[in-house]
Amino acid sequence: MVSRAAIVRNSLGMHARAAARFVHAAAQFQSQIRVARGERVIDGKSIMGILLLAAARGTTLVISAEGPDEEDAVTSLCRLVETGLGEEPCSA
Amino acid sequence: MQRLKGIAITEGAAAGRAVLLVHRGRAIRFPIPAERIEDELGRLDASRGRSHMQLESIKQRISGGPGSELAPLFDAQLLILEDPMLIGRAAELIRTEHVNAEWAIQRAFDEIAQVFDAIEDPYLRERKGDVEDVVGRLRMNLHDGSAAPRDLLRDVHGPFVLIADELSPSVAAQIDWGRVRGFAMDAGSRTYHTAILARSLQIPAIVGLHDATARARAGETVAIDGTTGELILDPSPEVLRSLLARQPAPAEEAPAPAGPATTRDGVCIRLEANVELPDDVAVAQRYGADGIGLFRSELMLGGRPLEALGEDRQYEAYVRLVEGMAPRPVTIRTFDLEESPPPRRGTGGDAADRRQVEVERIRSPLGLRGIRLSLARPELLVRQLRAVLRASVAGPIRILLPFVSGVEEVRAVRQLIDTVRHELRAERLMAPDVPLGAMIEVPSAALIADLLAREVDFLAIGTNDLIQYTLAVDRTDERVSEFYRPLHPGMLRLLRLVRRAAARGGVPLSVCGEMASDPALLAVLIGLGLTDFSMTPGAIPGARRLIESVNAADLRAAARGTLALSTVDAIEQFLARTVAGVEQGSPLSGRLS
Repeated sequence: MVSRAAIVRNSLGMHARAAARFVHAAAQFQSQIRVARGERVIDGKSIMGILLLAAARGTTLVISAEGPDEEDAVTSLCRLVETGLGEEPCSA
Repeated sequence: MQRLKGIAITEGAAAGRAVLLVHRGRAIRFPIPAERIEDELGRLDASRGRSHMQLESIKQRISGGPGSELAPLFDAQLLILEDPMLIGRAAELIRTEHVNAEWAIQRAFDEIAQVFDAIEDPYLRERKGDVEDVVGRLRMNLHDGSAAPRDLLRDVHGPFVLIADELSPSVAAQIDWGRVRGFAMDAGSRTYHTAILARSLQIPAIVGLHDATARARAGETVAIDGTTGELILDPSPEVLRSLLARQPAPAEEAPAPAGPATTRDGVCIRLEANVELPDDVAVAQRYGADGIGLFRSELMLGGRPLEALGEDRQYEAYVRLVEGMAPRPVTIRTFDLEESPPPRRGTGGDAADRRQVEVERIRSPLGLRGIRLSLARPELLVRQLRAVLRASVAGPIRILLPFVSGVEEVRAVRQLIDTVRHELRAERLMAPDVPLGAMIEVPSAALIADLLAREVDFLAIGTNDLIQYTLAVDRTDERVSEFYRPLHPGMLRLLRLVRRAAARGGVPLSVCGEMASDPALLAVLIGLGLTDFSMTPGAIPGARRLIESVNAADLRAAARGTLALSTVDAIEQFLARTVAGVEQGSPLSGRLS
């Protein structure tokens, strides 16, 4: 299993569109994806799970993957989160 | 057997199987027999399939053209739709608790909503709305995808007694009241809008029961005693027999004659219908309505956000209405909605994105509602005006503005109408001139009726709100319901003032509140010189009978008498003496002193 932290950068946090992008990206991988915020761990391929993490800007998420493409999955999902999920990242 | 005490709205008794309607989620719970569990799961899956296709097609449609920035939102909704936390949980509930799919979806959503509500970030907390939208779509699609969800209770077999916690007009409009034997509600007072509805439909009804939905069990036999104001749960056979023995046999309905009603001394009175959905035109016709005096356009939404109702869908609805009623006129009241108050904290995100237009009921009667809201969100009003102007090609149509409080609002709408007409012409669409009217339901509008008369083509008094605002009575607060007195001297003076202003200004004036559907009050209104009324279709035949039995001159004399009196009690006693028998429809001649 591979596991790495990423900080939510886009200004609105993990709202519906951003969460959808994440879930779509996660679905590309065969590995099982988990996303944790503190104690809470959710299925990274469930949009409802992502929405309910309520990850606002600045939140640290720990993304883990387990499966044949776990390394790729974690690298690419962390990059997606760190680059603002396809939206204007906010440097502040 | 258990007796719950409430406020009786209509006399008469009724008994039947209880159907519980929990308003908040618009979900009804009923048990599913074990052999139908698979069918119920099938319904859920069919609804998921239909919802998927709709969302895909919306996404495709908008992703090429304007509004393409919204496409990812529908992408998110598609993912929500397929998420096991929603559908999977609902299926589990159907399997383990043997409940209907509507209820299961609602429960699954409630569980998710609880978690959302605990979220601190206000923007993310409100993403619950995205899930809610999907849930609304799933619920809608549980009904085989045909037409609008016209009859909310169509899966419940046979007649029944409806027990609701509360019932908003938009939900009430989705119920086939022909199958409701009796009606009981936790909330409400005598003047609550749904109580008014039950009274006009002559369904035995009790409101203000507080916890009837918690105490009654769905499917058990319940009885309503409209005389004592009691809801009887699981009544004994003796109680049931003696109760129903008092119930009069239902009268046979024949189609009513149309055209104006004439008093014995030859005064013509126009009777139009208040209508909530385009399909109600048939009902209006059956009761002999002389037109649609008030189409409450916001009820077309059926609980969906205003943004969801596009121009073409509105256009189709208006055309159906106008063609169904032609050659008689149709008055469309623009959306009378309220915007929910702004969120308390946080600023992130696009503010316009977060506002949700409230349809369920007016929570803050002095807030941003009616024409105020329409002018604050002109893009939504423009969409409605375009649809109305386009539909006006199909037949006579009038536009009525709700909640007008000053001349400025009328002028602003006129300007928008001009702009819209230019736009339509530029698009080579016909846009005939459409009469514009203002509701008189705010006291300031009543007081400047003469000034408004110069700006509009017609005026319409909305008595329910005018009474509420003039007498400072919250209609949903049962503690003050005794202060809701249509015959208050202040009301009679205000009505006379408006009637005179309209007459001097040469604009037609109608009355479209509930006051007109009560024969005794209708007599007073006719006495004050009013001649155009719009009411619940079911009240039209009674009004016609009354009008044809009276002399307008007698009523005018009686009204003059009331205007000299200083209390509601004195006015009521005076009317009981002079206009006695009006309710039975007997002639008044010779009764005036």
